[in-house]
Amino acid sequence: MEQTQINSSKIFLNKVRTFLSKPQNVILLLFGTVLTFTTIAPIVAIVQDTFKVHPGTIDAFLTGRADGYSIVNYVDLFTSPLAKTNLWSPILNTVLLAVLTCLISILFGGVMAFLVTRTNLKYKKYLSSIFIFPYIMPQWTLAVVWQHLFYSNQITGTSNGLLASLFGILAPKWWCMGLFPSAVVLGLHYAPFAYIMIGGIFRNMDANLEEAATILDTPKWKIMFRVTLPMVKPAILSTILLVFGSAMGSYPVPHYLGLTTLSTKYVSLNSKYTGEASILAIIMMIFGILILGMNQLSLKSRKSYTTVTGKSGQISKINLGKVGKHLIAILLIVLTFFTSIFPIISFAIETFLPNPGDYSFLYNHDLSMLTTKWWVSRSNADSAMYGQHGILFNKTIWHAFGGTMLVAVICAIVAGTIGTLIGYAVSKNRRNRFANYVNNMAFLPYLMPSLAVGAAYFILFSNDKINLFNTYALLIIVGTVKYIPFASRSALNSMLQLSGEIEEAAIIQDIPWVKRMTHIIIPIQKSSIISGFLLPFMTCLRELSLFLLLCTQGFILSTTLDYFDEMGLYAFSSAINLILIVTILIFNTLINKITGASLDEGIGG
Amino acid sequence: MKKRVLSMLLTACMAVTALVGCGSGASSTTEKAAGGETVASEDTSDENLTETQKIIKEAESMTLEELAAKAIEESNGKTFYGVGNSSRGKTALPLFIEYLQSIDPSYNMEYEWQQPKNNKIFEQLSADSLKPEGTFAMTLIQDGNQIESKMVQTGILDTYIPKEWAEANGTTPDEVEGYLSLQTLNKVFMYNCTGSKEYDNCWDFVAEGEHALFMDIDSEVVGKNFLYMLTEDKYAAQLKSAYEALSAEEKAYFDPTIKEMEGEATNLGLGADGKYALAWIKLWVESYNEQTDDGPICNTLVAESATDQSGLLVYSKLRSVEESAGVSVNNIKVAAYQDGYTGMGGYGYCHYLFVTDNTPLPWTACAFIAYMTTTEDGFSAWGKDMGGYSSNPEVAKAIETTYGHSKGGYDEEGNNVYDCKNDRGYDWWTTDGGLVLEDPQYCASVSFTVGSWIELLTKYADQVEEE
Repeated sequence: MEQTQINSSKIFLNKVRTFLSKPQNVILLLFGTVLTFTTIAPIVAIVQDTFKVHPGTIDAFLTGRADGYSIVNYVDLFTSPLAKTNLWSPILNTVLLAVLTCLISILFGGVMAFLVTRTNLKYKKYLSSIFIFPYIMPQWTLAVVWQHLFYSNQITGTSNGLLASLFGILAPKWWCMGLFPSAVVLGLHYAPFAYIMIGGIFRNMDANLEEAATILDTPKWKIMFRVTLPMVKPAILSTILLVFGSAMGSYPVPHYLGLTTLSTKYVSLNSKYTGEASILAIIMMIFGILILGMNQLSLKSRKSYTTVTGKSGQISKINLGKVGKHLIAILLIVLTFFTSIFPIISFAIETFLPNPGDYSFLYNHDLSMLTTKWWVSRSNADSAMYGQHGILFNKTIWHAFGGTMLVAVICAIVAGTIGTLIGYAVSKNRRNRFANYVNNMAFLPYLMPSLAVGAAYFILFSNDKINLFNTYALLIIVGTVKYIPFASRSALNSMLQLSGEIEEAAIIQDIPWVKRMTHIIIPIQKSSIISGFLLPFMTCLRELSLFLLLCTQGFILSTTLDYFDEMGLYAFSSAINLILIVTILIFNTLINKITGASLDEGIGG
Repeated sequence: MKKRVLSMLLTACMAVTALVGCGSGASSTTEKAAGGETVASEDTSDENLTETQKIIKEAESMTLEELAAKAIEESNGKTFYGVGNSSRGKTALPLFIEYLQSIDPSYNMEYEWQQPKNNKIFEQLSADSLKPEGTFAMTLIQDGNQIESKMVQTGILDTYIPKEWAEANGTTPDEVEGYLSLQTLNKVFMYNCTGSKEYDNCWDFVAEGEHALFMDIDSEVVGKNFLYMLTEDKYAAQLKSAYEALSAEEKAYFDPTIKEMEGEATNLGLGADGKYALAWIKLWVESYNEQTDDGPICNTLVAESATDQSGLLVYSKLRSVEESAGVSVNNIKVAAYQDGYTGMGGYGYCHYLFVTDNTPLPWTACAFIAYMTTTEDGFSAWGKDMGGYSSNPEVAKAIETTYGHSKGGYDEEGNNVYDCKNDRGYDWWTTDGGLVLEDPQYCASVSFTVGSWIELLTKYADQVEEE
């Protein structure tokens, strides 16, 4: 009897040892545990908050208590006369915004990707590089540019924007404020996302099917709808997956353009309806979970389209015609001028205006009205500086820049490394349920709206034991958890392309795992893996919704930028935008030079 | 001499009014009773005081110099964390350190000043209060309503009254009721005057077709407190008087709304003139054009193209406008400064100073608070600009002597160039200027009655969305 027990425990120990001898299993076990905590604990914390009585808020008033737990927040939010204002309208607006954003980004990004990869369009390199600019810039900066362009005294009840001042053009109200501009701005912001994803498939697509269709004399439109588009369907679904959640959780764009969404409502309700605001955050999270569920369903039902094979290296390119290839290119150059170049010019000009938004030099044709005070003032007591030092001497801005770099670099390194390891481990156990679970746990935070994730982490780390508000540690934790999917997805996709034989050959040679990774696997897939580091870095640099609730302004650049934009000090916010854009371009170029990888890599002609 | 005595009396009156206006929230502990009503329970016996409260009690009998000695002993070589709604705490702290160094040259203290936005300060302080020893030594905070219900009733913040401040106000720390206010700030009605439109009554800002620019009341909650205050008898009566000064034609537009509000005023338990207050609030909420901050409002109003636009914004914003071809301070008028203007000219709210109950540096926090409220240098971070009025009459006087805000619009040759920048001062604003002053306790008491009623109104921004 005792012998049997010893044997079974030995067998068990052996099994454990065998299991742990495989690095991918250790990785899965470790990160499965960590990610379960980092994903589930904030959700639990925010759910608990919805039942909590908060002193000085509606739940305390309705229950007559200053602490304890109650369901009164749910009852009040869903049944009070304010339910339409506080709940249903924001939900409707949020869904409409997310759907429209997906539509615009996929249409704009998809068409652009198609033109760049599948046609003989001119100036592809330029267009490909310039197209990703709106994604580099913080999303609400386009919203501020929109305001400066289209607002007018007559329609929006403010001072005149550029179009009204210079040409007397009065844009209608629906164009200036609300759903339409919010969706367009977010759509433009996320179009590069669609461009990169759809473009990647267009570029690597096996042309045999299309060639076969052409040989069979199939009309071009039919080839497009029956062959080409179905092949990019997975990329479109992926884009929807990523953009829908991001658009839902966007706070600054609807905030600046006057649309009430769940995010803006969360912020406005938070002071007096704290518990009810947490319910809104949960609703946003439920959307995230639903999207993940839909993704799982689509993965199950998704037809298998092999997009990358070793056979056909040639893709037949559609001929746009002698005039067409130039004309369309010029049209796109004009369009991207307004989405990518004009904002940068406008940021630069803004830093030389005498007053925020004061473009009087334009209609007075007098350049002497411009000033360098916003850059070079050494004293915050100088007149008309709103108590600020000039940008070059502004400690707040440079301190925030340092903070942002710290958070972005650490997040990129940690998220990139963890994501790559998870991608590797999942690819090695692709049919394993636990591997799928870890993969989903890693991906879930990305699908959850940023503001809700920020809110949940704020609650989780604001207690008597751990209090991390306004610390870089908190931003790094949240940023890492949120951006692991960038790396895990790109690592998983690239690892799945790798034949297992390559690593097996090394195992037979008894080469240790670290060496296998650093000498074989990572070098082969370095460009995908590096983009898994680059994307978290870039996104972190201009992230606001995620960090808004976790730190004060002046702590990192995005909150500082938002602060200056809210205060109407556009010279400072524009300068920060320029700093961010230049930083990202420098890093992108450096990484491109060193490793050959870049954001639009592989797409540009 | 007579003039001196008179001016002393006037400033003393002003400070006492500020004190009353800026809050009568009890510094004693208060408990939440069933039904959400607050009951004050005086309990000043020493054994029930927290450690910080004991130190505060001791500090209240000490002079600034004595406190400075304690602060030097306590915080030399340490880091001081402050949090506030005003970024200028960051400017005041190095001056305070310089002051301590003038006593002990070897003294040094690092500092960090945080300024959260979006009402985050309350969550930040609440979270910090959970720790046995907090991060923040003190706070400079606005919104009497939330301070009362979230910070004072919960014991998170403690009031400290500096001895010299109380003396300057002709009283003693023990006799002072309410919070310690650093200053009162005013938000005033202004309008762009490049067109022909005139605003000579506060009802003009809610007249047909008006969309005054204003910070969203959900974004800056002191805006909500302003609306709550309008329902207090004194201000409701002020609105009634202003209404009565309107022409019959003007009255005709407002009459249906005032009539409609009669029942609401009764339901909300307001006084006889409550319907005027509710009517004004309704028309305001349903018409104001919400903006993210006072900065953009100011930028808009001073522009030549903002013809006939109006707004309610912080007066001090005018200080930073640079004259250009398209922008001028002379493009706007301060409504209350115009002859014949009737009714409220704006509203005033306070920046309060508190010591956190779990402060890591109680003596230094008290010394810093005393420094800001009892010396000109300490208040200079705020005092150098118009539109912020020290609660200490002696400091207020010194600031006026140094900076001459009452003639802020004059050029070096003594010409009155920008009339709207000639700050008429706290005394004028709270009397002739018809400034509506925040009373934290009143705000807290109507927050879920009048407050909930306000939330049922459809804001102009939401109407635009529905269109």
